[in-house]
This record gives sequence, C-alpha cells and structure tokens, in this order.
Amino acid sequence: MERKPLIELVGVEKTFGRVQALTNINLKLYEGEIVSLVGDNGAGKTTLTKIISGTEKADSGAKIILRGEEQKNWGAAKARKLGIETVHQNRALSEQQSIYANVFMGRELTNRFGFVKRKQQIAETEALMRKIGYTSKVWTPNSPVLKLSGGERQGVAISRAILFDSSLVMLDEPTTAMALSEQAEVIEFIHDLKRQGRSVIFISHNPWDAHAVADRFVILDRGRLVFDGPKGDMKADEFIMMLREIARKGTI
Amino acid sequence: MSIENATVKKFIVPDRFKPVLGAAGFYLLMMSVFIYFAPSVFLNIGMFTAVFLSLPLYIIMGLALVFVTVSGEIDLSFPSTLALTGLVFSLTLNATNYNFWVAFLASLLVGITCGLFVGFLVTKLGFSSLITTLGVNFMFAGITQVLNQGQVRQFPEFDESPIRAAVVGSWGPIPAQLLWGLAIAMILGVIFNRHRFGIHVHIAGDNPEAGRAMGVNVSRVKVYCFILVGICCSITSTISILINSTYYSTMGEGYLLPVLAAVFVGGTPVTGGKGTIAGLVIGATTVVFINTGVIAVGLDGYFTGLGFGLVIILSLLGHRALSGRLSR
Repeated sequence: MERKPLIELVGVEKTFGRVQALTNINLKLYEGEIVSLVGDNGAGKTTLTKIISGTEKADSGAKIILRGEEQKNWGAAKARKLGIETVHQNRALSEQQSIYANVFMGRELTNRFGFVKRKQQIAETEALMRKIGYTSKVWTPNSPVLKLSGGERQGVAISRAILFDSSLVMLDEPTTAMALSEQAEVIEFIHDLKRQGRSVIFISHNPWDAHAVADRFVILDRGRLVFDGPKGDMKADEFIMMLREIARKGTI
Repeated sequence: MSIENATVKKFIVPDRFKPVLGAAGFYLLMMSVFIYFAPSVFLNIGMFTAVFLSLPLYIIMGLALVFVTVSGEIDLSFPSTLALTGLVFSLTLNATNYNFWVAFLASLLVGITCGLFVGFLVTKLGFSSLITTLGVNFMFAGITQVLNQGQVRQFPEFDESPIRAAVVGSWGPIPAQLLWGLAIAMILGVIFNRHRFGIHVHIAGDNPEAGRAMGVNVSRVKVYCFILVGICCSITSTISILINSTYYSTMGEGYLLPVLAAVFVGGTPVTGGKGTIAGLVIGATTVVFINTGVIAVGLDGYFTGLGFGLVIILSLLGHRALSGRLSR
C-alpha cells in the first residue's frame, strides 16, 4: 500500500535578488515521521522551512500540496490553520508581551466579536507550562517574555507549537544556546511529538542530534537537495562521514 | 499561632500598572504645585470647567496616537488632517443646507482616506513614518489652504441646534464633550487591551517579524492605526467646530506637541509594543492644565513653553525611575 504524503513540495525555487537560495526542491513528507534537515550554513534549510511555514513565498511555479490538495495563496496564517507549526530559529517572540500573549500570538482565542478570552488563555498557558516542565516558579502566564532565560524562551516557542492540534512541527535549530540538560529535553520532546503521530522537521547543527532523532535524512547543499533517504541502520559516524563528503564535493 | 505562619505579603505593583501610577502621581504633584502658588484659581470649579472644555479634544487625538505609537510608528500629520476634515465638514454643511450627519460622514470618509494614504506610504512603500507624516502634514495643510482660500467659516445656525447641545452642551459644570471623550477612551481602551486588534497592535510594535511569522498581518494592523488617526481627527475637528460654531484653517496647529506630550507623559514609550490608555487620559489632563496653569499662577504666557518642556522631561525621568532603570 502506498503511503499518502502529508505535504509535498514540487519544484520549489527561491531567489533573493541574484542569490539562488533554493533550486528545484522536490520533497514528500509523511505522517508521523521525523525528518532531519541538514546542510552547511547557507544551504537553504531555514529558507525551506520558511516556505513551508508560509513566512516566505517561493518563486512562482512552485507547488505546495497538503493532504493531496494544491494550496493557493500560501501564507503563515493559512499554514498554521492547516496544522503546520514552526519553532523559528529566532524564536519569534514579542518580548514585552506576556507569556500567554506569545503562546496565543496570531491565534488568539476570541469570542465572535473578536474579544480575547483572557482567562481561558491564561489557564491553558499555565497548564502548558506545567506540561513542558517549567522548573521556575517565579513566572506566571502574565510575566513578560523579556524576563525569561534563553531556554525558557525556547520553552514558550515550543509550547506554542504543540498547543494547537498540529500535524507538522518544524524546529529550526531549537537547541542553539541551550544548556545540555535542556537540549536533552528538546530531543525527548521531539520523540513525544512522533508518539502523538505528528510529523517533525528538525534542523540542527549538531550531527549527533540530527542522527539520533531522525527516521529519514534530507541533506541540502548550496540550495540543492543532494540526499533524501531513510536512516535504516546507518551509524552516526557513517552519517557524519557522508555530511563531510557532501560539504567537500557538493554531491554524494 | 507562631510567627512563621504569618505570611508578610510585600505589596508589589504589577509592571503594567506602573506607567499609569507614574502619570497619576506626576499629575497630582504638578497640581499641588499649582494649588500652592495659586489656590484661588486652582480650587475654583470654573477653572476645571474651562479645562474640561478642550481636554476631550486632546484625549481623542491622543488615543489614536497611542495606537499608532504602540504599533511602532508615529504620526505627525494629524494636525493638518484635523484641519482638512474640519474643512470638509464645513463645506459639506454649506452645500447640504446644514445637514450635520451628511457633513460628519463626509468628514469621516476624508479622515479614513487620509489614514489609508499615510498607511499605504508607510507599509507598502516602506517609508519611515516619521518623515512621511512630516511631509504629509505639510501636504494636507497646503491642500486645506488652497481649498479654504483664507476664509473663517461661521455657523451661527448651530447655536440653538439639538445636535450642538448633545455634543458640546453643558451638563452642570461638565461639558458634554468630556463625557463623549471619556466614552471613546473607554471603548478604545477595551479594544486596546482586550480585542484581537489591540493585541496585534502591541505585537506589531514589539516584534513585527515574530508577528508575521505567526500569521499576524502586521501591515494591515498598522494601516488600521493610521485610519484610526483619521477617524479621530474627524471627530475632534467636528467637536471643535461645534464648540465655537466656527471653522478656521489653522485649527490643528496647536495640537501637535501637546498631544504627543500627552502620549509620552501618560507613560507610553516611543519605542512601541507597550502603552496605556488610562495613562493617556491622565497625560492629556496634565498637559491641558499646564497650558492654563502656567498663566493662572501669574507667569507670562511666554513661560508656557518652558513649563511644557520641564514637565515632559521630569515625567520621562519619573517613568524611567519607576521602571527601575534610573541608573544606566
């Protein structure tokens, strides 16, 4: 039986001025799989996730097919509505706003006149903070994000991604600038997402992390997709050797 | 009961109330100085009635400016938008044989168009709102002058009309426009703090990139803020014309600095993402009292500017101290 892809990218290209960031990317992503998206700096990983999350527009001619339906007017609000959540590299937080305002940013719970259900948002944020194991008791959902540490901020960005019933979660360098214990928590969290049946795209500079969590590797190099295959029984050092080879030669 | 069980709760003011408290404290401090030097003037109810006549105009304009400032932009074009919408109101009144509602609607439409125009320049063309609105201010003032041809337009027919009584009549010592101003402040305050639009205004000024990534249409939010300025200009000019039954094309000129001062004295920082409506109302009251107060305590009118400057600088210092960043 052939599996149906959750999301399919066909002929995705992206140019910034004269820089070709992505060249003819074709990619299928299935339900409940963890894809490690790897590549050197400037390979186009972040650009690709931004196109999937609707933050950047692909050049014309690209197709984004979600659950078999080609999507027109793809944008961030639409992507989130259809179940694609992203933990952006820069975390995308409004620092002066409260934790709960950040968790619900762009998807506020409102009544039909557009007024925000503040108490419900605060209660749900509180439950979420406990669920992802906020250790500090100092913070309430009302605390502004600017008082939080780097790891705690990442926690806010991550809780935003799991709050809604998303089917694909993309994490762009989620462990950067995190303590080792926090990194381990994020890796554990990614496994949780898979257990819940969600798909994950994971970007990391750390090849061991990228190897450890993945079901499948997608490797980009200078805007081209140079490898797309299951992990199988590939060992971590074989994977790293392959990455080095690609960085050197630009192909396999 | 042992002493350990008694919890001593330290009274902590939540951060979001600090600007309002600061503005209120500052206002009371300033008033005590005024009362100390001129008790006969400042303890007289007539003084307050005089202040309340024009206060709502500053409140209504300031409200729109709080939205724009919190959204991360600034609007310096409102004085001439005020004059332009006032002119349209006056011209339509003449053309429709004193149909107030048609005239007000025309003025609203022009105000909305002005806001759309500024919003287009700032969000679609990516111009700095500071420079754009400075230019637009000159432009609209020019258009107003050309259309008005230096006339002062008077509407004595309004003196006895029920609409004038409802909008700017006096209810005891309280002018009706003060109640209208406060009602608008309340409505906009709820929208600012509790409506999705108000939440998005905060996000747009705090971290627009984050907002966009999370699906907030930041540009649209900013355009709506500029449109709100246009709408408030139209309301303010209409009330102002009704107060004196007169239109003159320089009617917006005195508003620029006092309204901006009201926003900042009220505790809304210029940096965006944060602001307070209650603070603005107090800030506007402070500013209007300076105008009248400096003269009432027996100083020359020339001292108004000095008083203004002092109050603004001192209030900034006060807000800085409250936010705990006095020593840098």
